[in-house]
Amino acid sequence: MGVTLPQSDPQGRPEHYLEGFRNRHGLEESGVEGNVVTLVVNPNIVPAVLATARECLQIMHLSYITVVDRVGSFELTYELLDLRGVSVRVKTAIEGEEPVIDTVTGIYPTANWHEREAYDMFGVAFKGHPDMRRVYMWQDHFDHHPLLKSFEISTKRTFEGLR
Amino acid sequence: MLEQERVAESAALSGRATERLTNPYLRNEFGLETIDLNVGPQHPAMHGLLRLILELDGETVVRCDTVMGYLHRCQEKIAENRMYPAVIPLTDRLDYFANMHMEHGYCLAVEDMLDVEIPPRADAIRVLMCELMRLASHLPSTGFLMLELGAFTPILYAFRERERIQNIFEAVTGARMMFHYLRIGGVKADLPADIPERIWEYVESLEANLQRDFVDLIEGNEIFVARTRGVGRMSQEKAVEIGVTGPALRCTGVDFDIRRDYPYSWYPNVEFDVITDTGGDVEAGYRVRIGEIKQSIRIVKQVLEKLPEGEVMGDVSRRIRPPEGEGFGRVESPRGEFAVHVVSDGSDVPYRVHYRDPSFVNMQLLQEILPGHYLPDVIAIMGLIDPVSGGWDK
Amino acid sequence: MGTVIEYLNQEPWRFLVSFAAVLFLTLNLAAILTMSERKVAAYIQGRYGPNRVGPRGLLQPLADVFKLFTKENLSPSRADRWVFLAAPIAMFIPAAAIWLVVPFAPGAVVADLNIALLFFISITSIGALGVIMAGYGSRSNFALLGALRGAGQLISYEVPLILSMLGVAVLAGSLSLVDIVAAQDGGFWNWYFLPQFPMLIAFYVAGIAEIKRIPFDLPEGESEIVGGFMVEYSGMTWALIQASEFALMGLISAIGATLFFGGWQPPFEFLDFGNFNWIWFGLKAALIMFSFLWIRWTLPRLRMDQLMDFGWKILVPLTIFWLFITAGAVLAFPSVFG
Repeated sequence: MGVTLPQSDPQGRPEHYLEGFRNRHGLEESGVEGNVVTLVVNPNIVPAVLATARECLQIMHLSYITVVDRVGSFELTYELLDLRGVSVRVKTAIEGEEPVIDTVTGIYPTANWHEREAYDMFGVAFKGHPDMRRVYMWQDHFDHHPLLKSFEISTKRTFEGLR
Repeated sequence: MLEQERVAESAALSGRATERLTNPYLRNEFGLETIDLNVGPQHPAMHGLLRLILELDGETVVRCDTVMGYLHRCQEKIAENRMYPAVIPLTDRLDYFANMHMEHGYCLAVEDMLDVEIPPRADAIRVLMCELMRLASHLPSTGFLMLELGAFTPILYAFRERERIQNIFEAVTGARMMFHYLRIGGVKADLPADIPERIWEYVESLEANLQRDFVDLIEGNEIFVARTRGVGRMSQEKAVEIGVTGPALRCTGVDFDIRRDYPYSWYPNVEFDVITDTGGDVEAGYRVRIGEIKQSIRIVKQVLEKLPEGEVMGDVSRRIRPPEGEGFGRVESPRGEFAVHVVSDGSDVPYRVHYRDPSFVNMQLLQEILPGHYLPDVIAIMGLIDPVSGGWDK
Repeated sequence: MGTVIEYLNQEPWRFLVSFAAVLFLTLNLAAILTMSERKVAAYIQGRYGPNRVGPRGLLQPLADVFKLFTKENLSPSRADRWVFLAAPIAMFIPAAAIWLVVPFAPGAVVADLNIALLFFISITSIGALGVIMAGYGSRSNFALLGALRGAGQLISYEVPLILSMLGVAVLAGSLSLVDIVAAQDGGFWNWYFLPQFPMLIAFYVAGIAEIKRIPFDLPEGESEIVGGFMVEYSGMTWALIQASEFALMGLISAIGATLFFGGWQPPFEFLDFGNFNWIWFGLKAALIMFSFLWIRWTLPRLRMDQLMDFGWKILVPLTIFWLFITAGAVLAFPSVFG
């Protein structure tokens, strides 16, 4: 059957979403700026927050998952679109050198490849991911994660182990 | 044929796809084996360098695995070592059939951080260039679809049109393909004096000839209809679940267009329709693209009529050094939603640039949709998704 | 001079000389068709074709042949060497051999068999075998797919091909191509394309399927299996396969012209050229070949199941039905038909 989208005018919806998130989860920070709702949450509750977004608030589209390597921690940004003018940004920070977080593939199946890319580029492990493989780099004999700040751009480093 | 009849026939035809999958237990019992076919990175119909590892039972696809990364240039890493304006030529090379949109997305993200006012003329020129780029992208997309179905002629007609658009781009930006025209704060230079007239003439001629040269050759063709109706059909839920955007999503009936729903640049000042189709199959994808070509022509004409006067570059210093923070940009590229997330740490090189490319996400369709289809349908479905190698591989 | 010709006119010299001439014709036809295909394709697509070699590019086939002679004959290391090499030969020999029974002009036929049509049918089937040998011997998954598709398609479309020719045989009362041409004399209204129009359509479509051209070029499936059964061939072996495909295309056109358009018969009595009637034959065959080229560059290709559906569910019933009508007409009105 068809997919129903919210009505065109984004008036009032960002606040409604913010209310919905606030009522169900403990948020570290939250705010509305124009048509964008920003939430900062603890990494443990990210799947729960996204489940709320999908099921209760009918926000259907996960646009992308960005990982930023702040040396010492990893900052993830999940951007959700409700396809009619409002977007929700869920940010979380994972401390340490070996980031692990639960997968959201069960909630937003599109996250499958986004998480694979995050793993490939940064080494972020997603617990419960159905197909945790690299997506761009070589599958075997390549143990580096290129987008980490500690990965220097040099030919020697890239081909180490392959030649 | 009426649209309802067409959609009903499409549904009936596509239902057979899953029926064709032989029960694996039955297969073992009869000693049947599947072939592993490597539709390898070198293939004329893979829209670039894509490796599909198909497990075929006769000619039916049982399982499909996509292996990408043959064109991966790690642009996100390179961007961390180049100053903000120097990243724009890199974005040109992302989805090389939609260069203007890629540049536009990145520029919007950086301008979001800088909070700069873009003069209306620059915005209008950006929209004009983006819509011409959409024309230059949708025509060859349809041509590629026909090439993969076996008809060699429409693609040459499509590229003839693209050549004319590229000549216009050359007159405006100086390059035929890698433009480096949009800059942070505006565009590089104003349009030459004779360009609006030239674009107007070209667009009028395209509008007049589209039906005769292109659509008539394709749309009523019995073989085209047989090859594309009911093939690769997806439901609206599945499409939204997989994260598909762009014409591939609109062909299922979900009307989501970033130009209208998340308006940016000069789009609030132009009127256009969002083309959707209820088929969900390859034929519907083709119809959506042809409809979008007509809408793009409409937008180009409106921009040319209402082109505001003024400067083409905002008040931006030559040294771009955004304050610490994040910037987000989102555009509707011919393939779907292209989003850029830029993180700045106060220096003149970005700390992190992340591109959300539509081709990358739309390719997830392949693993979901292909099982049950025949091998020739695989190629037709690539024509529905219409990915571009630079896009999915970054 | 006269005695030399008289001497050569005896068997077996007549046969050998004319066989050599026909073989020469076949190979040249293949070369000329490569050129015409490229030029026709180019003009349809709004560009010039090859126009550098020779006046207006007419010596291009010469350049192609030179190139192919000097190209390396690669073969996959795992390939079955003898089957791999024998396949192009198995494809070329039928295409060349059937020209022996085609009547070019009154009295100018290499072998006047009284079962010429049967000869045509039986020898074309060997071409299908060549396709399977090529695909199977290459030991490559792509080639295997091409071979299996070729097997299915070629064998399926032989049935409507044969049935479409039977109507003509019933009307002419003979299986000999010379008799069939002789029975169509007296102007174009006596040609068999009028009473046998559905059979002409079936023959035409089945003919395109037999020569593996778009819309039936699945065994070669350019954009799916990249060359299909001939993906592993290069150099002279590939050239032989191409030559056999074009020779077969010429052959189907020639047989079509003979069966349905009167062969060497002129359309009007007063245009009869006597021994030079091969001009009429050539013209008709050339027009049919041009139509094959035209269709190839316009239409997309069918999928395998649609192709088989079309052959078995539409063409075969059509031809059987019309065969019954033809037979009934001949019985009911013996004075008018045959």
